[in-house]
Amino acid sequence: IEEKEMLDRMLRVDHAGEYGANRIYAGQMAVLGRSRTGPLIQVWDVKEHLEKFNEILAENRVRPTALLPLWNIAGFVLGASSALLGKEGAMACTVAVEESISEHYNSQIRALMEKDPERYTELLQVIKEFRDDEMEHHDTGLEHDAESIPGYWLLKNAIQLGCKAAIYVSQRV
Amino acid sequence: MAALLRGLRAGRTLRGLCSVVSAPPAANPQCSGLTRGIHCAALRLQDESKSDKPPPSSSSTTHHEHYQTHSAEQASTSDPAAEEASRPNTSYQDQSGEQGEEYETEEQLQVRILNAALEFVPLHGWSMEAIAAGAETLDLSSASTGMFYNGAGDLVLHFVSHCNSQLTEILAEQHKQVQLGQAEQKRTADFLRDAVETRLRMHIPYIESWPQAMSILLLPHNIPNSLKHLSTLVDDIWFYAGDRSTDMNWYTKRAALTGIYNTTELVMVQDSSTDFQDTWNFLDNRIQDVVNMAGTAKQVQSTGEAVVQGLMGAAFTLKNLTGLNQKR
Repeated sequence: IEEKEMLDRMLRVDHAGEYGANRIYAGQMAVLGRSRTGPLIQVWDVKEHLEKFNEILAENRVRPTALLPLWNIAGFVLGASSALLGKEGAMACTVAVEESISEHYNSQIRALMEKDPERYTELLQVIKEFRDDEMEHHDTGLEHDAESIPGYWLLKNAIQLGCKAAIYVSQRV
Repeated sequence: MAALLRGLRAGRTLRGLCSVVSAPPAANPQCSGLTRGIHCAALRLQDESKSDKPPPSSSSTTHHEHYQTHSAEQASTSDPAAEEASRPNTSYQDQSGEQGEEYETEEQLQVRILNAALEFVPLHGWSMEAIAAGAETLDLSSASTGMFYNGAGDLVLHFVSHCNSQLTEILAEQHKQVQLGQAEQKRTADFLRDAVETRLRMHIPYIESWPQAMSILLLPHNIPNSLKHLSTLVDDIWFYAGDRSTDMNWYTKRAALTGIYNTTELVMVQDSSTDFQDTWNFLDNRIQDVVNMAGTAKQVQSTGEAVVQGLMGAAFTLKNLTGLNQKR
């Protein structure tokens, strides 16, 4: 596929991803906000990620994914339901999602480096920074007993499968 | 003839044809008419094998380039060395030109013929006859219409894309003026109205035959292209109107403008008032409708929020009154 198309897809997915992540954390906060875990989740503020991508999309005149309303609801529901499983549930959800996102960003970095690292230096920098942030969230989640929840393996894989599907679809629609 | 050209586009085996066509390898051949098209295509195939060009990309310059469909000119400004495209077909994204200026690609030739053909549209309508007449004014044989597989569709699509590019240039120029502080930013409604009016006025010289053009654009094999042109048109207009939304508004705004544009176009073809005044009034009203709707939507939303707050307050009061709120 043509280069502009590839770039468009990447940016569209990244934007959708950050939007979804914001909604997941909002869902988690809605349930656990007033508990001890609240301040922890709040540190994972990814609003700036979303704002940055809003800027990038507008600059490059990329169409946002039409599924945004779906991700709005789905993200919130995921966050809230994982939080209903308790603190460990929320952490497990975070670990799963952040792992997916980091993997995804890494493959984008690889793709951009293969294509033309010089032309995309700025974008590469942004993606690298965000990936590092996500890894940090992932590690924090692990530190806080994400793995101690029963059914961790099942939960984690289910969420990651969902993420993969969401990525695939958002690239195209 | 058409089949021959089709073959040319398909394969490398046709380099053998170069020897048949027998032209000098480098310089400008003095052939004319029919053979010129074949010759140009054949030599292009020959050159492609020599160059190893990195993939062409019309987005190779900054991210701020605005999206233009088939503008060979733009591609050539971004790569003045003018190496050949690696794909041996004449899709409209190809880079243009070879080293010399006298030498043109098949695409540039097509563009020249179609431009010349536009003159004859009032006479022959949007048809192969117009293209043939156009070719003849360029001293080419009228059989060179064989290059245009889509016939009248090619002509109409070319015209549409040409108008869109012109509009984009005008809007970019206005935008620059505003940036330089030499002009004021119009209100969105006015901007949209002016942009749509400017674009539709480009149809005026061909307005008699425009219904025919519209129906050609609706033919199934033309629909993907005509939709693409329409969507880039609407996207460009909103971009220069200042829209930078990245949520569902992106879609609703473009859908609304597409509706406005299409309905106004339809009104225009059966408008018989002086200078199409009825059409522009219709346009004003439609834009006003959309603006009102947006305003109403906002009002509904804030009213809804206020109502919810009111209800919550009432529920809370009720809880207090019935003593349910007390901790015993």
